[in-house]
Amino acid sequence: MSLDFSVLLRFQEALALGLWTTVKLTLICIVLGCSLGFLVGLSRTSPSAIVRGIASIYVEFFRGTPVLIQLFWIFFCLPLVLGVELSNLASGVIALTLYMGAITSETFRASLKSVGREQMDACIALGLPRRVQVTNVILPQAVLRAAPTLLSNCISLFKESALVSAVGMADLMFVGQNISNNTARPVEVLTIVALIYFAIAFPLTRAVTLVEGRILKKLAI
Amino acid sequence: MTSASAPLVSIRSLHKSYGPHIQVLKGLDIEMKPGERVVVIGPSGGGKSTLLRVMMGLEKIDSGSITFGGKPYISSANADAKTAINTDVRRSIGMVFQHYTLFPHLSVIQNLVLAPCKVRGEKKASATQRAQALLERFGLGGKANAFPAQLSGGQKQRVAIARALMLDPKLMLFDEVTSALDPELVAEVEQVILQLAEQNLPMMIVTHDMWFAKNIASRVIFCAGGVVVEDGPPEQVLGSPREERTRDFIDRVFHIKQ
Repeated sequence: MSLDFSVLLRFQEALALGLWTTVKLTLICIVLGCSLGFLVGLSRTSPSAIVRGIASIYVEFFRGTPVLIQLFWIFFCLPLVLGVELSNLASGVIALTLYMGAITSETFRASLKSVGREQMDACIALGLPRRVQVTNVILPQAVLRAAPTLLSNCISLFKESALVSAVGMADLMFVGQNISNNTARPVEVLTIVALIYFAIAFPLTRAVTLVEGRILKKLAI
Repeated sequence: MTSASAPLVSIRSLHKSYGPHIQVLKGLDIEMKPGERVVVIGPSGGGKSTLLRVMMGLEKIDSGSITFGGKPYISSANADAKTAINTDVRRSIGMVFQHYTLFPHLSVIQNLVLAPCKVRGEKKASATQRAQALLERFGLGGKANAFPAQLSGGQKQRVAIARALMLDPKLMLFDEVTSALDPELVAEVEQVILQLAEQNLPMMIVTHDMWFAKNIASRVIFCAGGVVVEDGPPEQVLGSPREERTRDFIDRVFHIKQ
């Protein structure tokens, strides 16, 4: 049996639609997940033991269990618990956001720690209210310091999002599997799908290096 | 006390410890009059920096009280009680730290206008104008848009002083502000502080630089073991100290200098 990539030409449109779903899902979950991650990371430095406790339980649970099981749980159990039917996209967004939130909160926690006590001292000496301390001093520095790791987290999420195909969401992976089943050409189809993922992820990994070099050097933080 | 000028700062029986075993301040009493420039000297671990940090409201205290301009500022009844800090009073005190503590993600001018705009609601244009004038005065007119990482240590420290002055403090605290600087950069920072002294801005300075202490102080306090050992005019404390411990310290410092 010889390899024949020409079968894929018929499915360009389907693959493009699948890719669009993957990209859309990833982008939404990056925005929501990073916001959640920052708040959770901040909560883990809270003076209140209860707040810290809740935040750690959440993080440890989502870090310590397979994403696939989290997805199944949200797709099939959450509708039963809430009593409402969730769309595929909504379920996917909830599941991956919760996962991304847990992962990035660890990234933010480390970067928040590195912002350090001296910066806090300066904030207090200048009489900055807590809200200003967070939004104008801590958040921008934490994001800058966390930028390289956050980008890596985002690339991971982009690839992990392929798991939503397992619960029937029509993302790039799902479309690829369908085509592969219909054409009985799994090697060609999955190779091309892998190349599409790579074509997007690879420039992003390069970007990580660039960000590390440029921004961080300029600010020396 | 019935002196004509009421004290600006009045520190009473200040106790502060880190954990159960390390007592840093063991009953400090200091009274500071308006217009005074107090230099605090003494061996490392003697509580000088802790004193300044407490006065800035950065540290919890065990017991004692501080009043500022006659108003209650900081107090605590005992080590388990919460340290009460009057944040309105705290806003009239400015502090400069050993390691500059500029905000690295903001330009010089943004560092200066952040607090006036966010704390006092000053218009950005007016704050920027005041900031620019202050930078010119400190020889940093061309650095408004530079980032802290692009400045020398001496420039950073002058920016840090300008940033504190933007809030028109009634008292400035300087905590070893030249200790992290290369020797050739020390003078430019000390010049700026001497400039402020000419305007009679009250200040409390912790320094290891005895030349600077002699030139700027209107009064010198020798602090060791968490208490005030000697307190008087610079000629006395630095020149002919009355206390044995002060004399030992001064001798050793000047011996190292030779």
